[in-house]
Amino acid sequence: MDSLNTRLAALRGGTSPVGFSARTIAGLNENPGCARRALLDASGADKDRIGARVGFPGRFGQSPFALARGRVFEEQIKANGAAQLLRLLREKLGLTIEEAAYLPLEDVGDNTGRELRARHTTAQLLRAAREGDDAGTLFDHPMLRLRVAGCTAYLEPDLVAFQVGGRFHVVEIKSFAVIDGQVDGEQVTAAARQAAVYVLALRELLADHGLDPETVSHEVLLVTPADFTNRPVVSLIDVRKQLAAVRRVLARMSRVETLLDALPEGVSFDLAPDDDGDPTRDPAELAAALHQIPARYRPGCRAHCELAAFCRDEARCADSLDVFGPAVGGMLGGVDTVCAALGLAEGTRAPAEDEAEIARALRHAETLRSGLG
Amino acid sequence: MQDDLEALEDRIARLRRSVRAAMRRRDSARVKELRAELRRVERAWDELADALERDERQQPSAPEPARPPGPLVPAREHVHQVLTLLGVPAAPKLIGAVHRAFFPGELPASRLASLRRDEERSFRSSPGARPYYLCPALTSDLLAPARGLVTVSSWPLEHRIIGPLSPRVDFLRAAVAVADAAQRGLHETPDTERLLRSFAVSIPGATPRGTGPIDPGLLTRAAEAEIAVHLDADRQARAAAADRARRRLDETERLFGTKLRAIPGKTAQG
Repeated sequence: MDSLNTRLAALRGGTSPVGFSARTIAGLNENPGCARRALLDASGADKDRIGARVGFPGRFGQSPFALARGRVFEEQIKANGAAQLLRLLREKLGLTIEEAAYLPLEDVGDNTGRELRARHTTAQLLRAAREGDDAGTLFDHPMLRLRVAGCTAYLEPDLVAFQVGGRFHVVEIKSFAVIDGQVDGEQVTAAARQAAVYVLALRELLADHGLDPETVSHEVLLVTPADFTNRPVVSLIDVRKQLAAVRRVLARMSRVETLLDALPEGVSFDLAPDDDGDPTRDPAELAAALHQIPARYRPGCRAHCELAAFCRDEARCADSLDVFGPAVGGMLGGVDTVCAALGLAEGTRAPAEDEAEIARALRHAETLRSGLG
Repeated sequence: MQDDLEALEDRIARLRRSVRAAMRRRDSARVKELRAELRRVERAWDELADALERDERQQPSAPEPARPPGPLVPAREHVHQVLTLLGVPAAPKLIGAVHRAFFPGELPASRLASLRRDEERSFRSSPGARPYYLCPALTSDLLAPARGLVTVSSWPLEHRIIGPLSPRVDFLRAAVAVADAAQRGLHETPDTERLLRSFAVSIPGATPRGTGPIDPGLLTRAAEAEIAVHLDADRQARAAAADRARRRLDETERLFGTKLRAIPGKTAQG
């Protein structure tokens, strides 16, 4: 493992590694086939700064308005010993009246150090798991740890993990609205993925201390505002699928060696920061290093990878169909470039044997299009 | 005496304006001088206000002390009023809501934020000079300041400690206190109903059937029924922690909590 870490550190160069959050770990599930991203993430390289250095500064991250709205809603749910959450849990999950203990874990004394908080959280959760009923019901902002590619990632369920009927449930508080019982599927999926990371971290915590990891339920509770009000509703989400995906992707991160072996000598993402931390690495050289590792660009990358603009540009330059997303790529299976597809449609290119069917479909589409014109 | 207070307040306001003007001129010597003067006048104001309060307390025949007019009462007194009504540690948000529902005058949220620090500083510079201090609640496990909960120093230690069940018990007690204040018809405002409702919706059996207004009597009964469930466990936890605090902490720490410091060599890794 050590030699692997040394190799990854060499790849990253003189920059300090970027930590993982539940959001970034969940994001790893997106486009798992991208070797470029896998290597950058595993080495802890700062994709944001690398992207900026090679000429594609990203406007990446959550909107400050969304963050503020989320914070206010979370505060509201947790106010007065999480009174509103308690009501929901009693109504929806039959939490007994006796179970109302509330433990804030966002600091230990006045200290908010991650490691200290993680230890404090561990102690409290283990006590609850071992002693059962009386030892706590609501745990506000616990700090969990998860090993990702040989490094410790600190995870803070931005919400509460609690114990109902002897099981732990992860609670996610999200501020996107459930309107008429309908939610934006993409946002729920993202929340479920993030929650799955927390479930995994909680399970590992219990397993590490000789307790049954299954005490942590695979059902997470999603608390969201109803319609256009601030009234919260709770829904149960089964995250088994996401859990399996997160496990897979983490396992792959630790098999990053195979990717490293395939790397040409001397490739590095080092930004060569000077004393002030400003990058000095030659942008062209850095870009060349990035091009050496195959990427798999998809339009969805822009939602979760800071380097997406760079890869899109690469795909465009290579005339690749990837810029249109996997659906188009799938439909035109076997045809790789925009040029080839257009050639087949316009009949300027003779289809190979296995392209005959696609060529027919493309030519048909082209006649329809020119008919419209 | 009231007139003296007002005169002092005028002077404080004038001094603050001069301090700002001097700051704009970047005249630091003058700023220092003016601020020292400001502190002297503020102290004089405190002493006078305390004396007034003592006088009022010594006149038992006097009817209910008149509600102090809103704008002239400093924030700490507003907070004290609200906490006395509630009788339990409360978060700034709840303090603001109760204040809006039952008391005249403004209580800016920004003042609440700086209050805790000011109070601790004031206590440390001259312990016991004021009749009460606003201090944080203490957590039952570490006896450290609990995040965002304000209490009054004159309360028994047990009431100022927060155990695992205390947030719930205190929420229910606050509901009883608010329902009681509403029943007494204490300066009701349109915010009163909203406050009652915010409590009632989170307590089983506290909302009336249908869409009518909240019944304070029903709210009280529902809250008390749930308090009865948690009371013993909560009382035990608080009493045990209070015992520990009495044995281990000095006077200042019993009010403002212990500070947890990282032990060298054992600091966070990774």
